[in-house]
Amino acid sequence: MSGRAEHRTGAAYAVEMLNIRKEYPGVVAADDASLYVKEGEIHGLIGENGAGKSTMMNILYGMIKPDRGIIRLYGRDVVIGSPRMAIEHGISMVHQHFMLMPNMSVLRNVILGRTPVRRGLIDVAAAKTAIGAIMEEYDLHVDLDSNVYQLSVGEKQRVEIIKALYRESRILILDEPTAVLTPSETNKLMEVLTKLKNQGRSLIFITHKLREVMALTDNITVMRRGVVTGRTPKSETEISALSTVMVGREVDLEIPRKPYRPGECVLDARGISALNSRGLPALRDVSLTVNRSEIVGIAGVEGNGQSELVEVIAGMLSPTSGSVIYKGTDITGTSVRYRRENGISHVPEDRLRRGVAKTCTVSDNLILNRYYQKGYAKMGIIDNRKLRDLSERLREEFAIKTPDTGYKLSTLSGGNMQKVVFARETQMIPDLLIAAQPSRGIDIGAMEYIHGQIIAVRDSGRSVLLVSAELDEILSLSDRILVMYEGRIVARLPRGETDEREIGEYMMGARSKDGEACA
Amino acid sequence: MERRVRDWLAAAEMRESLEISARRIGMIILALLFAAIFLKVSGYPPSAVVRGIFLSLTRDAAGTVRWATPLILSGLAVCVTYKAEIYNLGVDGQLYMGAAAATVVALLLPDADPFLSRVAVFAAAMAAGMLFALIPALLKVYLDTNEVVSTMLLNFIAALYVDYLVTGPLRDTSTGANLNASPIIPRNTWLPRISYLAPSSANVGFYIALIAAVAIAFMFKKTTLGYEIKIVGANSRFASYGGIRPQRTTLQVMGLSGAIAGIVGAVEVSAVQHRLLAGFNPDFGFDGIVVSLLANHNPAGVVFSGLFFGALKNGGANMERITDVPSAVTKIVMAIIILTISARAALPKLRQMLKRSARGDNA
Ligand SMILES: Nc1ncnc2c1ncn2[C@@H]1O[C@H](COP(=O)(O)OP(=O)(O)OP(=O)(O)O)[C@@H](O)[C@H]1O
Ligand SMILES: [Mg+2]
Repeated sequence: MSGRAEHRTGAAYAVEMLNIRKEYPGVVAADDASLYVKEGEIHGLIGENGAGKSTMMNILYGMIKPDRGIIRLYGRDVVIGSPRMAIEHGISMVHQHFMLMPNMSVLRNVILGRTPVRRGLIDVAAAKTAIGAIMEEYDLHVDLDSNVYQLSVGEKQRVEIIKALYRESRILILDEPTAVLTPSETNKLMEVLTKLKNQGRSLIFITHKLREVMALTDNITVMRRGVVTGRTPKSETEISALSTVMVGREVDLEIPRKPYRPGECVLDARGISALNSRGLPALRDVSLTVNRSEIVGIAGVEGNGQSELVEVIAGMLSPTSGSVIYKGTDITGTSVRYRRENGISHVPEDRLRRGVAKTCTVSDNLILNRYYQKGYAKMGIIDNRKLRDLSERLREEFAIKTPDTGYKLSTLSGGNMQKVVFARETQMIPDLLIAAQPSRGIDIGAMEYIHGQIIAVRDSGRSVLLVSAELDEILSLSDRILVMYEGRIVARLPRGETDEREIGEYMMGARSKDGEACA
Repeated sequence: MERRVRDWLAAAEMRESLEISARRIGMIILALLFAAIFLKVSGYPPSAVVRGIFLSLTRDAAGTVRWATPLILSGLAVCVTYKAEIYNLGVDGQLYMGAAAATVVALLLPDADPFLSRVAVFAAAMAAGMLFALIPALLKVYLDTNEVVSTMLLNFIAALYVDYLVTGPLRDTSTGANLNASPIIPRNTWLPRISYLAPSSANVGFYIALIAAVAIAFMFKKTTLGYEIKIVGANSRFASYGGIRPQRTTLQVMGLSGAIAGIVGAVEVSAVQHRLLAGFNPDFGFDGIVVSLLANHNPAGVVFSGLFFGALKNGGANMERITDVPSAVTKIVMAIIILTISARAALPKLRQMLKRSARGDNA
């Protein structure tokens, strides 16, 4: 596929969305918002959670009808009534939450909607050749015959991008593509996107990570509460200015904390081995402790056993050997509810699959660990008023953007779903907070808040086990850092005595230090 | 602001349910039209179906109540599990077992206190229905057997078991009549009929059905079990992450569903037939699925759709009585009506389900 830069005179913009308005009951998701994307540029679209970014993109992709407003592509007015029409106009979208068919092969997913046919049959050979060429050109490799559910998140995203390229899209929308990627995958993605831009395609790139915005984009649009609050060429701005426009105030991620004085041991995991869901060894003899008044951070590329470790501690996975000691008692065989009752909270890494029930209300999602407790229920009969009050209180306290907790959870923006999970898990004041990827998909204002909460848990004499793929997050929050690689802890590093580079090497398995037993 | 939003939500809900009702009434009219056309081409008066149903809504409302009772209860049995995304197609089998247990207990209590003996009859029927429903539930929990298949297969076992009882150990030998049935159960165990609806066999079971509907609605809205059912049905991974055990919920809802099915059996034995009769059950369980579906699996709605199906069933009986339409044709007419209506109600549901399974877990 050759570069297909089409230059039409007078059509400097590939996309113009003019005075778009979309109102939901109680929320104006887009309020006279206008977006201009030039041909051959990467356009950054940023803004706090619930600002209306996904809404604008879903409108451009034909998934939502705007109440009013005009869309212009290459200078021509168009009406985009469905994703199919968007695709015909050369628009593709990589969604915040992927939209692939999990039970179909990669090949089928890619050719869906544009299937090469020969004598009434799918021309698999032709499809494979075409897709193979794309994968070669952009160095994006995925096994075409495996089923999508077998892929890692990074691979799924590659499939989405291959699909866009296969359709020869000129306009590519990426809604928070890097939220789920490892640092090296992110770098790789940026290379591909730059290449696409240089071919004259236009890209709209949504992210909460301002460093990526600065590294990748040409022009930036900032949204806030449905309104476009700023437009600027990248070259004329910097991170701190962006974050201020985004959140409407200055953000400080350097959160003050009490000096490090660890207390008694809260969690003592000894020699844990466990299998993953496919029955393969995922944890090999992992030991770690978490004490009061400390945050232990686990760094590592996703899929190196962190998920299983968290599940073993939270009680959702039985280890094949080893034991979990919590506040002096062996809790290895106990139920999830027992552990929760005794002060273990858990923010899961995969919020959509495990952390929420999308079809239930926000309130139903907030009361999961309370609904049966004294004060909220008596002999199996629940006090709906009290639970409602509780969820309204949490909504206010955690600034969850929804007019009413009686709304379906699926109406929330991605970052606000994460706030629901975090609100539910920290309101109980846990003795041990397990936080896996706690700031995935949330804006910097909310990140400041969530980091503040994590530090507050530590400062109040409780303990936190933090799992994150973001090295920034690990470095800024943890008192001690453990690095996991292939199911083992390969390094234990104290705060302040290490840096991104060193951790990175351990993460890639390039270095290893004997995991010595800790105090 | 908050008030306004809540008002808006309530208004939207109202509008939605009005819209749904309007659409359903349209479907009913269409269904009657199909039925009339069918009668016409078969050479019977097309008005027969309308007249039959009209009768069952007016002078013969009692008959409608009689049929609505088991239909409401079966509908409730289905809707209880549906919310947890479990499909109990075994209501027929469970109600057969309930009827058998009711009969056995009733026959054992010839001179007991009338109140206590009725309580015993119903308790036995509910226990039997529950236990029989727990078989597929346990198979699902421990062996991951699909409950759709297992509950359906168990229906045959239950029906054959009742046949065996009434031709063997429980068979009434006293009268010499050649009937595959148990002896008449003692009068003190009869559930009373509703006197002002006499001579129909409409009975106190109708009140039981209404109370059950209220109880189930309460269970869904106001109890921890109701919340757990909702959560397990919405996302069982989320449920177990929160400390709810989906397996336990499965056992609970199946047990509850079976117990309600057992009540159907007890009502039919103690108020309608007064004995265990081979094949007394005209597929109440399967009708219950349609009843629940039509009510969108809402317990209050089940009462109305149960009454509606009661009117239909009774209308069929009336049709046979007032015209010379043979019963086979009547059955076909009713099937046409049920298919037309339930297809409309079921289609969007089916589409949703297909979409969901195609997209998987949103992964
Ligand atoms: N179907 C809906 N019903 C009601 N409100 C909705 C619906 N869809 C979106 N909203 C609301 O519209 C607002 C904008 O949501 P949107 O998903 O566009 O935010 P976003 O900028 O993408 O945020 P994030 O960064 O968290 O993904 C939010 O307040 C959200 O709650
Ligand atoms: Mg979004």
